[in-house]
Amino acid sequence: MICPIQTQESAEILLAYCTGELDQKRAAAIEQHIQICPVCEEFASKQRMVWQALDAWEAQPVSMDFDRRLYQRIEAEVSWWDRIMRPFRQAMARRALPVAATACLATMAVLLLDHQAKPAKVAEAESTQIESVQPDQVEHAFDDMEMLRQFSALMRAEPSPPNSKM
Amino acid sequence: MDERVTRDVAVAAAALDYDAELMLRVKEGDGASFGVLLQKHRSPVTHFLFRMVQNQAIAEELAQEVFLRVYRSRSTYEPTAKFTTWLFRIATHLALNSLRDRRNERSQERLDDDSLDASAREVKDKQPTAEQRMLHQLKLEEVRRAIAALPEKQRVAVLMHKYQEMEYSQIAKVLNCSDAAVKSLLFRAYESLRGRLAHMA
Repeated sequence: MICPIQTQESAEILLAYCTGELDQKRAAAIEQHIQICPVCEEFASKQRMVWQALDAWEAQPVSMDFDRRLYQRIEAEVSWWDRIMRPFRQAMARRALPVAATACLATMAVLLLDHQAKPAKVAEAESTQIESVQPDQVEHAFDDMEMLRQFSALMRAEPSPPNSKM
Repeated sequence: MDERVTRDVAVAAAALDYDAELMLRVKEGDGASFGVLLQKHRSPVTHFLFRMVQNQAIAEELAQEVFLRVYRSRSTYEPTAKFTTWLFRIATHLALNSLRDRRNERSQERLDDDSLDASAREVKDKQPTAEQRMLHQLKLEEVRRAIAALPEKQRVAVLMHKYQEMEYSQIAKVLNCSDAAVKSLLFRAYESLRGRLAHMA
């Protein structure tokens, strides 16, 4: 076996051995080499020491109120409208579709009925108007028309007055 | 066609990733699933951030921001990657921004304060002698300083590799680089750490 310490790439394998990341076969090969190579033995020994030193550095436990503070921050970002609507949202989501469908059907029905009813109403209104006209009203109307016709004829017959000059 | 295939693969991957499945439920308005995700990832994310910024209060503040961003993004969430990759990408981004903002003398003071706090907690748990306490405190301080001295990307890679037990491929996705680049980052990082910490054991 070529000494792994010779190149960085191979030394990375030695590092992987020290951190327990090699498979059994490769680890056994490195172990055999270490027994006869003082340089690699020193490398492995020092790496183990580093590993142990790092193990001694424990992190502190997370504060008990970590979640409470986080949820407070999350809550602060939710709008007042969302907060009011929250209890109703799920129920609304469940019922929204059938309610919307019913509302659409009702609107369409009203529109259709309204459309069919309109022409009948107009015809009815016209006939009522005709029935309510009296004969004397018709006579008066004819008289007014005749008077207007005579007035127009007179206006056409009269010559226009000359312009006055200073 | 290719896009559709990629999308199908992503959806299939999401089916295997239970966290992504939970996030999809959050997208549909299931608040309880967000609670499950929070419970599962609260500590790993906060611990990662703590080791990154080396200040518990700031780490928790950043962790809150991580989960707040997750919640805000629920409506646009697509399971294109593993959920934890996405989560730690957000955490890394926030941690690096925070470090860049705080890169001054104050951060060093906080580092010292936190080191004392942590060792005090350790002392309470195990009841060691005064000498052991002092040694442990010194050891922790040295570890913290060694990690803090690493370049940003190397630090992220080491913390994810050592404490989150992430695979190279996942670290690569978080850091948006190749697997080979991650191997190289880790090799260089551990080389520095060996130089600084190997004498401790």
